[in-house]
Amino acid sequence: MKQRNRWMLLGLVPFVVMVLAFQLAPIASMLAGSVRGPGGSGITFGHYVKIFESAYYLKAIKNSLLISFYSSLIGIVVGLACAYSITRFTPKIRDRLLMLSNMTSNFAGVPLAFAYIILLGNNGIFTLLFKEWGWDVFAGFNLYSWTGLVLVYVYFQVPLALLLLYPSFYGIRDQWKEAAMLLGARPWQFWRTVGLPMLTPAIFGTLGILFANAMGAYATAYALVGGNYNLLAIRIGSLVTGDVANQPELGSALAVLLAVSTIAAVILNHWMSKRSQRFTAAHASSGRASGQRRASRAKPWRAVKKEAGA
Amino acid sequence: MSASYLELRGIRKMFGDSTVLNDVDLSINEGELVTLLGPSGCGKSTLLRCIAGLTEPDGGSIMLGPTNIGELPPRRREVGMVFQSYALFPNLTVYENIEYGLKMRGADKKERQSRCEELLALVDLENKKDAYPQQLSGGQQQRVALARSLAVQPKVLLLDEPLSALDAKIRKSLRTEIRDIQRRLKMTTIFVTHDQEEALTVSDRICIMNNGNIVQDGSPEELYAKPRTEFVARFMGSYNVLSREEAGRLFGVAVGSAASYALRPESVRLLPASAGEARRDRRVADGTIESISVLGNIVRYSVVSSGVKLTVDALNDGQSHRGEEGAAVALELDSSQLLALEKEGA
Amino acid sequence: MIKSRAGWSHRALMLLLMVYLLLPLAATLLYGFAKQWQTTVMPESWTLEWFGEMFRDLRFLEALWTSLYLCAISVALSLAVMLPAVFVITVYLPKWETFMKGIVVLPYAVPGVVAAVGLIRAYSGGPIDIAGTAYILIGAYFIVVLPYMYQGIRNSLITVSAVELLHSAELLGASRKRAFVTVILPNIWPGVIISTLLSFSVLFGEFVLTNMLVGGHIQTIQVYLYRRVGESGHLASAIAITYFLFILALSTVLMKLGKKMNGVAEK
Repeated sequence: MKQRNRWMLLGLVPFVVMVLAFQLAPIASMLAGSVRGPGGSGITFGHYVKIFESAYYLKAIKNSLLISFYSSLIGIVVGLACAYSITRFTPKIRDRLLMLSNMTSNFAGVPLAFAYIILLGNNGIFTLLFKEWGWDVFAGFNLYSWTGLVLVYVYFQVPLALLLLYPSFYGIRDQWKEAAMLLGARPWQFWRTVGLPMLTPAIFGTLGILFANAMGAYATAYALVGGNYNLLAIRIGSLVTGDVANQPELGSALAVLLAVSTIAAVILNHWMSKRSQRFTAAHASSGRASGQRRASRAKPWRAVKKEAGA
Repeated sequence: MSASYLELRGIRKMFGDSTVLNDVDLSINEGELVTLLGPSGCGKSTLLRCIAGLTEPDGGSIMLGPTNIGELPPRRREVGMVFQSYALFPNLTVYENIEYGLKMRGADKKERQSRCEELLALVDLENKKDAYPQQLSGGQQQRVALARSLAVQPKVLLLDEPLSALDAKIRKSLRTEIRDIQRRLKMTTIFVTHDQEEALTVSDRICIMNNGNIVQDGSPEELYAKPRTEFVARFMGSYNVLSREEAGRLFGVAVGSAASYALRPESVRLLPASAGEARRDRRVADGTIESISVLGNIVRYSVVSSGVKLTVDALNDGQSHRGEEGAAVALELDSSQLLALEKEGA
Repeated sequence: MIKSRAGWSHRALMLLLMVYLLLPLAATLLYGFAKQWQTTVMPESWTLEWFGEMFRDLRFLEALWTSLYLCAISVALSLAVMLPAVFVITVYLPKWETFMKGIVVLPYAVPGVVAAVGLIRAYSGGPIDIAGTAYILIGAYFIVVLPYMYQGIRNSLITVSAVELLHSAELLGASRKRAFVTVILPNIWPGVIISTLLSFSVLFGEFVLTNMLVGGHIQTIQVYLYRRVGESGHLASAIAITYFLFILALSTVLMKLGKKMNGVAEK
């Protein structure tokens, strides 16, 4: 038995080699690079210090954090409303709607940026139309600015939020609403006291995924504003591929900071989904667990694609 | 008889093309516990939901005392409800669950507290007040649900199969507990179940429902002793239901004009096959035991006599044992126990 | 009792959402067919010129071909490596499952830019100098699809209760290798095909790693599209729509397969 099992281990060898070579080694190399001293010897935290002393890089970090935060927040609010709505339809219509929204999530990255340029760019259809019609409310709008970026980011955050959030609405059982109503609660009182608290883990968990998604998003911003807008991901890209000055150590340090933020956000999601599983496990034991209600809680990375090319 | 407290008139409900409630009338007196008993899909739960306002009937009126509650939203009907699946709020503790209705009604903190303590004592869960529902057993959760619905002092308490999700032992002890509490509070209560034994033990009055109609109502004794239709006879117990022709064959005489007859399994006595001479007023028939099953304190025989299959119950006292499967026996039949049944839907 | 409870407000919200989500797509589609389109709601005149130009463009066809074969090679490699690995871990070393899961989720948490930084540092210069070649890209692609492949293969193994299947095959006298090939593989195949196609569509849309690792040397469809955006809007629209339709066809096959599999599982 032992002998045979040893043979089985051979099946793992290619996997281990590939992961070591293309995942762990690069990460190690990046970590090492970020603390590499001048001239390639010794250990220094100078690169990190430099980042935190540089108004330019701090600005990039701040921009990235802000844009991720706002686009996630808007994404979650819109996603929440839409997720609730979508659970009110019959499963057949619901699946069609989800399919459509999921389909659009393939339209991310470069093509998405491009579509928005067609719509709202300097010579975009809407831009020209609004000018023609004299709607000057939109005259101040600039797609290549912060508001424009938020707008485009929100576009790929909403379907993601919708997809991650809608199953948890099936965890809110109709009988809780009925019980609350009979006890004298109005619908908004029910949502405040029971509904939203029940959704909280899912909301924060999704927020984590959205945040990580926006922090790491590169293709959309790159295609939309090129190197002109100061975002962390864009900064890292230009430092490493070196359009101007090649500073791989500094790029590595920035990349480590970015990875720390996204990993933290994904860990937040993991904790939160554990919490909500505790809740749902409790439902299952209370009374008949109806299979249809417990919509599949597939792991997010199974069902969901991130911003394409992010 | 005093004027009824809860009065349903002509409640009608359709789901698509199927009639779920067919002009149901029901009156309930104050402090009474009425059970709606019937197979699943008979409309009993829908009727309960109509009273609560969770399902809107297509027609009919619901009067609670002097108020027509049929027009009010659920939260203003002053009706409490306990669900089969407990429906406790999982994010709130036992105490907060019970407090919920009082809070919604804007009761002040002191009042809430004293009322909650009272109810926790009533359902004997004082030591669990800070637990979350998922930390309790099913029976405890259902007691919390009961306390929660009683906290706001509803005028009517609706229990929708409250014991069906529990296991047999707890079901029995909780049903006596519910009955005790109901008696103590003189709470007007409607209890929905599909379990006839449960209905017989807890009710003041039982309404048997079938296909959206109340087919018979009365006290548990009445219903058990005098089922009016074949449906009730079959549903209330293991009544033998015989056609007129079968009954005639069994008793050896023509037996009146009803279409079918019911015969209680414990009204037939099994005698040794040799017990030939009968008492004057009784009829003795020959039969063969087909199968025997021991159900605790009674033994249930399936006997064939004159081509009629009968269920016969005998006390499991060790004396009345009448042999193995396939053995010949004599049956002592009492024609006064034969109940004429009305036609279905008459 | 299941009926649509969706009131008008829900319908309106969904309509709004769909319009919002489909608008950029529709605009791109129309732009790809438009000859003249300025200051009107719909294009003034139509043409197939842009699609024609696109298919005459050798660089487009080349980029398409490059994308296809790079993705195919990477997915095939991933399949060849992941099938035995996930099988061994799930069936023989369940203790290591958590560890493997951790490794496999990592690409999901680490953004593409960061991965690119690491890869460039590790493989430009030094003993293994493969920066700018297809090798480094295929390696990177392998890591990108790790989560999808792992999850797909593992779920399939669990749904068909691979451990029990294998034991009964062995009790019937089959060797392990034979049991794997004759019993496990045919049963998990549909699920594996789904994750393969999903991985393929993910890679097809990959931009950041491609652009940063090999952007100057190898043009995939995404990189090509990026280059063309600046030149002609209409042509770029035609490319974007063609790309999108391709992905759409792929996802449709994916969904049909998934439905079919669920249907089989329910029987």
